[in-house]
Amino acid sequence: MTANKVIPLNAVPEAETETNVAEAGASSRPILQVEGVDKVYGNGTVALKGAGLTVKQGEFVSLLGPSGCGKSTLLRIMAGLGEVTTGTVKWWEQDYDVVGSKGRKLAFVFQNATLMPWARVRKNVRLPLDLEHVSSSESEKKVDDALEMVGLKGFDESFPRELSGGMQMRASIARAMVTEPDLLLMDEPFGALDEMTRNKLNDDVLKLRKENGWTIVFVTHSVYEAVYLSSRVVVMAARPGRIVDDIKIDKPYPRSPDFRISTEFAGYCRQVSQALERASGMGESKEDC
Amino acid sequence: MSTPLIRNERFVQIAAPLLVGVLVLLLWQISVMAFDVPKYLVPSPVDIAESLVKDFSSLFGALLMTLKVTFLAFVIAVVAGVAASLLFVQSKWIEVSLFPYAVLMQVTPVVAIAPLIIIWVDDTTWALTICAVIVAIFPIISNTTLGLRSVDPNLLSMFRMYRTSRWQELVRLRIPGALPYFFGGLRISSGLALIGAVVAEFVAGTGGAKAGLAYMILQSGYNLQIPKMFAALILITLTGIILFAAMVWMSDRALRNWHESALKVEH
Repeated sequence: MTANKVIPLNAVPEAETETNVAEAGASSRPILQVEGVDKVYGNGTVALKGAGLTVKQGEFVSLLGPSGCGKSTLLRIMAGLGEVTTGTVKWWEQDYDVVGSKGRKLAFVFQNATLMPWARVRKNVRLPLDLEHVSSSESEKKVDDALEMVGLKGFDESFPRELSGGMQMRASIARAMVTEPDLLLMDEPFGALDEMTRNKLNDDVLKLRKENGWTIVFVTHSVYEAVYLSSRVVVMAARPGRIVDDIKIDKPYPRSPDFRISTEFAGYCRQVSQALERASGMGESKEDC
Repeated sequence: MSTPLIRNERFVQIAAPLLVGVLVLLLWQISVMAFDVPKYLVPSPVDIAESLVKDFSSLFGALLMTLKVTFLAFVIAVVAGVAASLLFVQSKWIEVSLFPYAVLMQVTPVVAIAPLIIIWVDDTTWALTICAVIVAIFPIISNTTLGLRSVDPNLLSMFRMYRTSRWQELVRLRIPGALPYFFGGLRISSGLALIGAVVAEFVAGTGGAKAGLAYMILQSGYNLQIPKMFAALILITLTGIILFAAMVWMSDRALRNWHESALKVEH
C-alpha cells in the first residue's frame, strides 16, 4: 500500500528535517468541521454541549478527558455513526454523503479489537473490501500489504482468539488500513493493553501514519499517550461534555521514544495535566480520571 | 500410548459411566433373581434383552415409524423455526406481533391439543408430526432469534459505516454470530421432537401398520408383556441419546475453531 497522498510529510522523507505537521496542517484544507454540536440522548442526558472542532489535513488530534466527557460520542459523530441534536458536521467541507466508496474514506478503530471471532485474521482484515465488493485479487494484495505493515505477516490464517491483545489490535488496525482511509478515527484503541505493548503500538501508529498519510483523531484518557502522539490535544470536560482546551504539541515528527524522556515531553504533560485537572474541576489523578 | 489408561481423559469419560451402568444392571439382575420378582412386575435385564431379540421385527418396525415422525418433525421445526427467527429480526414490529403466539404454542401442553390435531388431520403420520413440531420448534425460534440479535454493536457500527445492505449484514454478521445459539437450540429441540412424537402417539393410540414405539408400549402394557415394554423404552432412550450426541458432534464441528463452547482448553 503506497501512499500517494500529497502531504508535507511525504515530501520531506529525511527524518530529522521534517516539518511539523501541526504547522503544515494550519495551511491545509479542513477534513472535518464540527460546529456547535449538541448531543442529547432520549433520556435527557446531555452528552455534548456546543462542541466545535476543526481537523485539518495531516493533523493528529487527541481527544482527552475524564470519563463521561463525551469524547467517544464526539468521535462517533465524526464517524457519522450518531445523529447530532443540533449543530453541523462537515467532511471535506461537505455532508456525510461524500464519505464512502466513491468519495473520501473514513476508518474507525474501536476500543476493543472488534474482530469477528469466527473468521480468520485474513478474512477479518479483508472485510471492508468485501463489503465494498472489491475484486478478490486486488483485495488479497491489499490485505497482504496491510498485514505486513502491522507486523502480522504469517498470522493471516489464525483465528482472533489465538492472538494476544496487542496482535488483535494490530489486526484491527490492518482492517482499518485496507480501504486506504484519509481520516482515521481511533477510540481508545490501546486502553486495554499493557504499557509496553501500548508504547510499541504508539510508535507503530506514528510510523504507519507517516507511510500512509493519515489524518487521525484519537480518543484517549492517557495524558502521556496524547502528548506523545498528537500535534494537538483537545481537552474535554464532563457534565455536560464540552471542549475546554486545545493545546498544540509543537514537536516535529517523527517522534522517537527519546521524546518520552525529554524535559520537553514532561513540560507538555504538565501543561495538559493541568488543563485536564481544570476540566475535571478538582485535583483528580492525572492519568485515569 | 505410554500414559496409563486411567489417566487418559477420553477413556475415563467413557469407562466411568459405563462401569456405573454395568454395576446397576448387575445389581438389578441379582435383586430380581434373589427376591424372585415375577417377570410381569419387574423383568430382569436378561429378560429385557431376550425380548429385544425375540420381538425384534415388531419393535424395529415401530422404531422406524417413531424415527420417521421424529426426523420429519425435527427437520420441519428447524426450517420453520429458523425462517421465523429470520423474519423476527427483520423488524421489531414483526417480532412483537408474532412472538407471543410462539410462546402460546410452547406453553400449551401438546397432550391437550393432540386430540384436536388428530381429528383435523387424516393422515396419522402427519398428525403426529405436527404435534411433535409444536413441541420442538420453540427452542429453535427463541435461541436463533436471540443469536441473530446478539451482535457486537461495534461490529454493527462498522457495517453501517461501510453502508452495508441488510442482506450482507445478515449473511456476514448475524448468521455466523447466531450459530452457537442455534446449535444450543438444536440440542434441546432434537430431544423434544422425539418426546413430541412419542407423546402424540400415546394420545392418538393408533395401532395397525403405522404403530410406533409408544403404541408398542401401550400394547405391551395391556398384554402384561413387561419385558417388551422395557425393550421399547430402551429403544426410545437410545434414539434420544444418539440424536443428542449427533447434535453435540455437529455443533463441535461447526464451532471448534472459534467458539468457547467447543474449544479444547489445555491446563
